[in-house]
Amino acid sequence: MTFEEKLEILTESAKYDVSCSSSGSRRKNMSGGIGNAAPTGICHSFTPDGRCISLLKILMSNECVYNCEYCPSRNSADSRRARLTPDEICSLVIGFYKRNYIEGLFLSSAVFGTPDKTMELLYETVFKLRKVYRFNGYIHLKGIPNADPQTVMKAAALVDRMSYNLELPSEKSLKLLAPQKTRQSLLLPMLNLKSALDDEKQNGNRRKIIPAGQTTQLIIGASPENDGQILKLTESLYRKINLRRVYYSSYIPVVQSDKLPTVGAGLLREHRLYQADWLIRFYGFDAGEICGEGENLSKEYDPKCAWALRNMHLFPVEINKAPLEALLRVPGIGAKSAYKIIEARRYAALDFDCLVRMRVVLKRARHFITCKGKFYGSDSTAQIKNSLLIAGRSEADEQLCMFSEPAAAMSAVTGEL
Amino acid sequence: MKIFITDGLPDTFFTAVFAAYGEKDCTVSSDTQLQLPLDGEIINVVYDKEKSRRVLQTINKYDGEAESDITLVLHSGDSRKEQICLEYIRILVNNKAPVKNMLNNAVILSFNDLIYKMTGEIHRLKGLLRFTESAEKILYAPYSPDNDITEYLMRHFAARLKSEKFVIHDIKRGTAGVYDGEHWILGKANAAQISISESQGFYEKLWKTYYESTNVKERPHDKQMKRSMPVRYWKFLPEKK
Repeated sequence: MTFEEKLEILTESAKYDVSCSSSGSRRKNMSGGIGNAAPTGICHSFTPDGRCISLLKILMSNECVYNCEYCPSRNSADSRRARLTPDEICSLVIGFYKRNYIEGLFLSSAVFGTPDKTMELLYETVFKLRKVYRFNGYIHLKGIPNADPQTVMKAAALVDRMSYNLELPSEKSLKLLAPQKTRQSLLLPMLNLKSALDDEKQNGNRRKIIPAGQTTQLIIGASPENDGQILKLTESLYRKINLRRVYYSSYIPVVQSDKLPTVGAGLLREHRLYQADWLIRFYGFDAGEICGEGENLSKEYDPKCAWALRNMHLFPVEINKAPLEALLRVPGIGAKSAYKIIEARRYAALDFDCLVRMRVVLKRARHFITCKGKFYGSDSTAQIKNSLLIAGRSEADEQLCMFSEPAAAMSAVTGEL
Repeated sequence: MKIFITDGLPDTFFTAVFAAYGEKDCTVSSDTQLQLPLDGEIINVVYDKEKSRRVLQTINKYDGEAESDITLVLHSGDSRKEQICLEYIRILVNNKAPVKNMLNNAVILSFNDLIYKMTGEIHRLKGLLRFTESAEKILYAPYSPDNDITEYLMRHFAARLKSEKFVIHDIKRGTAGVYDGEHWILGKANAAQISISESQGFYEKLWKTYYESTNVKERPHDKQMKRSMPVRYWKFLPEKK
């Protein structure tokens, strides 16, 4: 097998991992070294599916002892197998990095032999890359469940980000679809890393281990959990384990199995979950406010609109007086616009035209605000609902075909995916 | 009406501001294609160290970031850049405090737009620039950006590729930045001839393989790709050739 064929196989096997972000780290270059990290992250190319390429995302090997139902690399699958050595990976990274093809490496692997052995080889690779090849660019390393915690900690001290994929939103589904993995084998290493980070912080040390934190990924629609349950889980992952990102991957039936649904979950559901995720992280919402237990997110309205329609008594808010928290809750006003309004109103009271000039999108917002006391929206809730539906539809057409992100247009620029 | 013509360098612009500031109705431009009005009085501005210094001193007094913001805007490819900067300075001096966030003012908005376009293209090209390795192990990146951003890219890559030697060549403007492993300089540069290294073809081929394999064919979204990576940048990308 040629090197090129190996690369092809190991890239194909890695591509269903959604994350490709290179943000959150300020790693510096050193003398005689190559590379540094950009805190905003940098996208180096975009594929025809609209996703950004920031990191070289490959598996070290796709030979797997596990037999997770949904996974194309599972043990019982009849697929081409390949493995790369640590040195092969390192020289590929340097060769690509020098030419400015990539921002760094996203290394993952199927479990070959034992979890310990796999983790050991992943560690060896990142060790060589940092110490022998003197590479200071971004490294995202996937953790192997059930591997020796000491090896994991040694690796964490060398890389910028680590992630364990929870894959399924509940213990029950995990048992059914990935019987060799347990919730505990995934959550425990995440908690270990979190407490190591807390220790560092308490001792006032500058961040040495995983400066860009941890992330995880959930498959949506392969198992029966509803959005309320998923968002509750998401919220606790952010608030209790301080994850930087939770990625959602809408289930695509690439694998035939009687335990799996035969149809995909659809991109709208994934899209709505990302919108809700944003509200939890950047807009001060609780999961319970957005989606009740046992419920699913609205298909018709984005989660913020849906919340506002349930809470019409809080609106309209006066654009020249409302505090930041209230502005952030206005449908159609994003974080950037909210900050712009706060800054601009220091100089002069803002009217509707000012907002238009500042390029605040008012299609939805106009029903929920007043400018200098004047209201520009529709009178009845029924009318508002109707025009929000129309405003949402043109946007949904645009976004439905989008790969995964509500803020993809912006994050594509910042590489924050 | 007085028309101040500069050579496009920020220093010369600041000299021009010294004279133009008090003129009610005037134009400052480095645009050689400028349409001149019939009653226009043309003044060719020559850089004057003392005049520039005094203008900068005033600007810095009111806003510590204004000088770098204005310098950034002066690297824009927009032909109105000098005029916008002059008006920006007028507002700043009148206000005697930073005006960047005065977003209900049309001049400030245009100024911020140009900043946005500059930082946007700089950020984009930090990702989309492609180096080719020459037989002498020098990395060479030709490109033709909308704005004059080579200086900003040099800073980025000099930190990142500290131990390499590289050249970033702006083909559109005939300028290049050269880094020799320790320092970098900007200069004029015409067409370059390079002989590529042995491994260049190997890595380019692997990169194309990677690009094709990492794409999820089941979810095509051409529009999103082109929005994030406009077609005008493609001719320098090996994966798009």
